[in-house]
Amino acid sequence: MNERWTRALTAIAVFGVLILAWEYASTNGLLKPYKFPPPSKIARGFVELATKGFPKDLTLWVHVQTTVARILQGYVYALALAIPLGFLVGALPLLEKLTNPLIVFGRSIATLSLLPLVIVWFGTGELTKVILIGYGCFWTMISNVIAGVKYVDRTLIAAARTMGVSGLNLYWSVILPAALPRMFAGARMALGVGFMVIVGAEMIGTIEGLGALIMEARTFYRSDITIIGMLVIGVIGFLISSGLMRLERVLIPWDTGLQDVRR
Amino acid sequence: METAAAEVENRMAEPFIVFDDIRMRFGPADEGMPPVLDGIDLAFPKNSFVSIVGRSGCGKTTLLNIAAGLVKATSGEVRIDGKAVKGPGEGQGVVFQQHALFPWLTAAGNVEFGTRTRGLPKEEKRQVARDLLDLVGLGHAVDKYPRELSGGMQQRVAIARALAMDPEILLMDEPFGALDELTRIELQQELLRVWEAQKKTVVFITHSINEALILSDRVILLAPHPGRVHKDIDITLPRPRERTDPAFNEMYQEIWEGLSS
Amino acid sequence: MSGRTSLSDILLGLVGTLIVLAVWEFAARGGFVDASIFPSPLLAFESAMQKLTTADVLSHIGWSLYRVVAGFLLGAACGIAVGIAAGWYRFANYILVPLIELLRPIPPLAWIPLAIIWFGLGEPSKFFIIFLGAFFPVVTATYRGVMSVDPMLIRAAQTHGLKGVRLLAQVAVPGAAPDLATGIRIGWGLSFGILVAAELIAADRGLGYMIMHARLLGNVDVIVVGIVLIGILNLATDALIAWGIGKWIGRWHAT
Repeated sequence: MNERWTRALTAIAVFGVLILAWEYASTNGLLKPYKFPPPSKIARGFVELATKGFPKDLTLWVHVQTTVARILQGYVYALALAIPLGFLVGALPLLEKLTNPLIVFGRSIATLSLLPLVIVWFGTGELTKVILIGYGCFWTMISNVIAGVKYVDRTLIAAARTMGVSGLNLYWSVILPAALPRMFAGARMALGVGFMVIVGAEMIGTIEGLGALIMEARTFYRSDITIIGMLVIGVIGFLISSGLMRLERVLIPWDTGLQDVRR
Repeated sequence: METAAAEVENRMAEPFIVFDDIRMRFGPADEGMPPVLDGIDLAFPKNSFVSIVGRSGCGKTTLLNIAAGLVKATSGEVRIDGKAVKGPGEGQGVVFQQHALFPWLTAAGNVEFGTRTRGLPKEEKRQVARDLLDLVGLGHAVDKYPRELSGGMQQRVAIARALAMDPEILLMDEPFGALDELTRIELQQELLRVWEAQKKTVVFITHSINEALILSDRVILLAPHPGRVHKDIDITLPRPRERTDPAFNEMYQEIWEGLSS
Repeated sequence: MSGRTSLSDILLGLVGTLIVLAVWEFAARGGFVDASIFPSPLLAFESAMQKLTTADVLSHIGWSLYRVVAGFLLGAACGIAVGIAAGWYRFANYILVPLIELLRPIPPLAWIPLAIIWFGLGEPSKFFIIFLGAFFPVVTATYRGVMSVDPMLIRAAQTHGLKGVRLLAQVAVPGAAPDLATGIRIGWGLSFGILVAAELIAADRGLGYMIMHARLLGNVDVIVVGIVLIGILNLATDALIAWGIGKWIGRWHAT
């Protein structure tokens, strides 16, 4: 209890000191205000962003919605494909061995390197971004689903078999639950990947969305807005991952904890 | 003129390790919880093998940690050969229940680690490590990593490592507790062999009465809530100890009753 | 974990790959799709080689590698140093961890505009982003690793008289090594992806640039070759790092 308090207080103190020092340094010329906009300016910028919007009429909320919508679409499609396919591959050793190099390679392709190609094929619209996110999320998710299914504790399966469970029933009642923790870890990682991808993807050829926002802001020398955008991105990333962890705890209360899964 | 026997008796009587009114409390005194250790007074002579037996919660591990210098008693002190214990690493060898071997060092590496306080040149360190591993029957496993060894072997390396310090005292906290019965019996014999060969003073914690009887000259019964010395029994059975000996059983009964009361 | 990959596994893998390549080849040649925007792998490779010289390609690869290695090394080194301090010293922990955890959720790519503001459009800004990409995973893995070293090991070392910096260096750091290694591997993967993105957005050399440039010229074949090259490079370097890690801690640590 004591430790938590000390930690929290120190954190607050540290931030407080930093913000004050920053404000002072920036408004008194110790730091260039363009490179290090004072917190007061950032706060004002936040209000402006939330109400009037930047660029014209695109409020913070619109940007957030756009980005999140893009991520979710790509993410959901990716998962919808990755889960059944992953299950299939994980369950059939032959298939897994055949597709292993493909999956390893697909995973190694830098998602953003596909951007130019996808633009050529599908233009610069929403579809491109969704596809890109989908690609990134897909490979991460499928790798984890495969691993989750493949590495189910053999003893659990043996035990189930001795109780007369087999075939599809075995998958449904034993393998799926046993693979869930790993699948959730994969889902969390995939979302993280999608998030990273969209931020990058939005920096090219669009003015809506958080990635676009921070890029545009720079062109107009609004470094304060850039910083706000970054912080908002961070907050959203944080909310998404902690939201997922909470969901995980609800859906799989028996999870023994798989936080440090290797990619 | 002292006879040889009297001389031996004298030497035996001089305490080598002394627990002087050790009290230990976690948390403030008014909280209503009894102290973990409530005035432990013990004295063991040199080269003796003493077991401390008691049920869980009687503070035996805490007592050992205090003797090892890992924990500070709330009051009272432990003296070894007249000097008060101030901190760890002063010459008490410790063997824990979980072997606590460094996974990134080989068996030899771990034992060599134990020689660091002796300021030996590199070659001698290596030799000491080899000799000790031979002593515990692991001469062939010198270059193996902990994860390649069985539980029994790991504990033997842990014992060798503690011995590598050439310690005056060996403190052992239920070192065989995590092992299976057969390995346990084997290691007990090993330990006795080593003790007799190296002439160390051993303070040994266990909750197994059998183990205490097989190994020790003296058994201290610790009672919990608050932790205090309940009984101090000299084991006068001849060595090597035989479980089938009726005298053995008598002692067993005595201790068992002591624990249950 | 998985046992050794047997010969049959490798063969099956090859078969699978060949099937995929064949399908791709057929789909492209069979006229199902416009070949100029969906080239078959062989044709793409051929025509790309006509437009690029080996020297060009090597130069791009060289630049990309140089950037990512430099940024990564510095990021990882700082990550390890800060991570050890934050993991071992309570004071440093209370101050550093909140800062790290505040900045960590911000994807390194989101730092690009700010990096350009701070450092301009040249190399330093890219270096900075790649640095960040390596720094965060490594510092997090390191400080968590140090914090979670088996306390029994520390106790055991203390009974041998170890304390202070020597205790840290000889016990805590090796104990944290497996976590550190994972952090490094993840950090490298991230740095690599970031490099590509950074080169796509603002560069005049490197593989990312090569792809972007090809798009402007409409050379889909070069784009494809570029993508594949990046993928291969990623794979190869990751395998190299995994091998290196194996040599470093493989003997005593079961992964």
